Amino acid sequence: MKTPVEAAGLADETARPLTVCLVGMPNSGKTTLMNALTGGHFHTANYPGVTVSLLQGKSSPKLGPPVNLVDLPGVHSSVNPSPEEELSCRVIESRDSAVEADVFALVLDATQLERHLKFAGFVARQKKPVVLILTMADLLPRTEQLLDAERLARALRIPIVTVDARQGKGIEGLVEEFRAAAGREWKPNALSDLGDDPVAAYSTVRKILDSSGALVRPVIRVEGDSLTARIDRVALHTHLGFPFFVAVLAALFASIFWMATPFMDAVDTGFALAGSLLTGLFPEAIFVRFVAEGLIGGVGAVAVFFPQIVILFFLMTLLEDSGYLARGATLVDRPLSYLGLHGRSFVPMLSGFACAIPAVLAARSIPTLRERLLTVWIIPLMSCSARLPVYALLLAALLPDAALAGLSLAVIYLASLLIGSLSAGLVGRFIMPGDDSSLLAMELPVYRVPRWKVILRMTWARSSSYLRKAGMPIVVIAIVLWLLSNFGLGSFQPQSAGTAPQPLIVQSEMNLSLAAQLGQFIEPLLEPMGVDWRVGVGLISAFAAREVFVSAMAIVFSVEGEDEDTQAAGLAEQMRTATFAGTGQRIFTASSMIGLIVFFFFSLQCISTVAVVQRETNSWRFAGLQLLFYTGVGYGAAVATVQGLRAFGVG
Amino acid sequence: MIEVDKTQLKLSEATLSRWYRIERLEGPKEECRRLLDLGFTPDEQVAIVRSTPLGDPLVVVVRGTQLALRKREASWIVVQ
Repeated sequence: MKTPVEAAGLADETARPLTVCLVGMPNSGKTTLMNALTGGHFHTANYPGVTVSLLQGKSSPKLGPPVNLVDLPGVHSSVNPSPEEELSCRVIESRDSAVEADVFALVLDATQLERHLKFAGFVARQKKPVVLILTMADLLPRTEQLLDAERLARALRIPIVTVDARQGKGIEGLVEEFRAAAGREWKPNALSDLGDDPVAAYSTVRKILDSSGALVRPVIRVEGDSLTARIDRVALHTHLGFPFFVAVLAALFASIFWMATPFMDAVDTGFALAGSLLTGLFPEAIFVRFVAEGLIGGVGAVAVFFPQIVILFFLMTLLEDSGYLARGATLVDRPLSYLGLHGRSFVPMLSGFACAIPAVLAARSIPTLRERLLTVWIIPLMSCSARLPVYALLLAALLPDAALAGLSLAVIYLASLLIGSLSAGLVGRFIMPGDDSSLLAMELPVYRVPRWKVILRMTWARSSSYLRKAGMPIVVIAIVLWLLSNFGLGSFQPQSAGTAPQPLIVQSEMNLSLAAQLGQFIEPLLEPMGVDWRVGVGLISAFAAREVFVSAMAIVFSVEGEDEDTQAAGLAEQMRTATFAGTGQRIFTASSMIGLIVFFFFSLQCISTVAVVQRETNSWRFAGLQLLFYTGVGYGAAVATVQGLRAFGVG
Repeated sequence: MIEVDKTQLKLSEATLSRWYRIERLEGPKEECRRLLDLGFTPDEQVAIVRSTPLGDPLVVVVRGTQLALRKREASWIVVQ
């Protein structure tokens, strides 16, 4: 005869596999456990409708017949929840149609039992099978606590499994335990009786812990963990705190900027080589050129940002895992909260100086929606690395003195941070005025040695999620822009005598392409900026990525060159002599070049960013408004600059 | 004999590295409920572990957990 447990286990294998949801408070060690249970094979799944991502995976076959595992975001409180908490609460309370839990794996930090057991009450009273999992038991000696898990299980009337997911200890029987729990009938237990009132629940939890003798606590001291206290004495020190923070930031920024460069160059060269090899084989066929330049170029446009994104996610996960990220956020919370941002906004803002795309993704770690949107709003103002080639070109043509050009560049970077902050302050106060009462109340976890395996898996899960999410729109847009610059309206093309009338759209030179026609079409708009339609073509192409401005300008001004560097040198030469058609007046005067710098400073010339913002905010309105606003402000500021400079006699 | 100080004050005005007993929470309803859920319940011991370079937020310990609390949030916690 089979026991009910075995019968349930057999039934599960024929029906859909069991879904086990990992739930707990933030920093309870869920993700480490997820990594151990899945053998590292998990991915981030984007939850429909909200900008929350979940980790999903199957338990490793080594642990028995696989079950589905979902790692739900950590929950502090079900009251006034953040979008992440809201999602977890919905799944826990079975109010969600997309994720349906059969068993809850309730992950508890053994060193903070009172708080975690109080939260456990919320899960336990949902009348679904629960397995309690104690993590961080290895840290108990550091907090001078003694815990008897068996006594605790008896007192709570719920099975408890103690695991050390970092070492992989205790996870062998876990999947079996989930199955067993799924087969058991739900019975009230000490946790499900806790009730909703936090004061009563906390006092009951303490009574259970004390009367069962499960937990022996030390005489409480202000600084519980000595290692954490020692590090925090420096990290949050009155005088040393900020220098330490700046050093960490500088290292982070330098890594994103410089470590990625060789990889980015390699990706760039690789895709260019693949493209030119293909066109070399069939130089005439337009389809081959489409594949080589449009398709390979489009994929290359995505791939070139990938090294930066991997490095950024790696370093962020590292900072988060070690415990420093929360300290950094604490340090800068005061000035940032004054601007309507959150302490955690510093990571996306900083990342924005490398590339807005990972920066927008990094804004996910900000708990409240309003602060997250405000952060996403100002990210495009941060001077991203794609602007650098454009500034370099314009500054080189404007200022022959390299030192002066370098200084101007530094001023541009600083100005972007200041104007970004100002913009956040103004928008936060007047356009998105919300209740100021978002709560910081941020947990400062103990410092821990980074768990490299988990960090690498998380980095990969986050980076590949970027490829899936942002990759497709970027490739499509790059292809569209290629088509625009390689095809033109038939009626505008030069016709040889005696040929049949041309079709509406034909392949054409850049100068006669749709992009050029668009450039000519908007020429009246460009005139106040002091430039002609050819620069307009550059500006339109730059929507694929800002640095494309350089190569597009090289094409319209017919400058030959292998790569961007040689192109830029020839282009700077050309720009000094280029004149408006018919008049002989020079295009690139001091005023028009400063105007262009101002335009690039503000305008959101990056369709990829728009695509990612749309995905992350789930709002075309927000993304569209951001695009129009910044590009409009950029245009207005550029015109004002050019006209103002001219009024003061600068040519 | 331990001297019991009965004066009530806000946690934001409390002295560093000294234990206080939470008397009650006085502030916006939902935010106070979240603070309760985080463990700031009446009769519980709380202390400011350290200040930060700008003086705000404060690092506070309650139920063995360190939390960064803005002064504004700490001012809702009445202690003695």
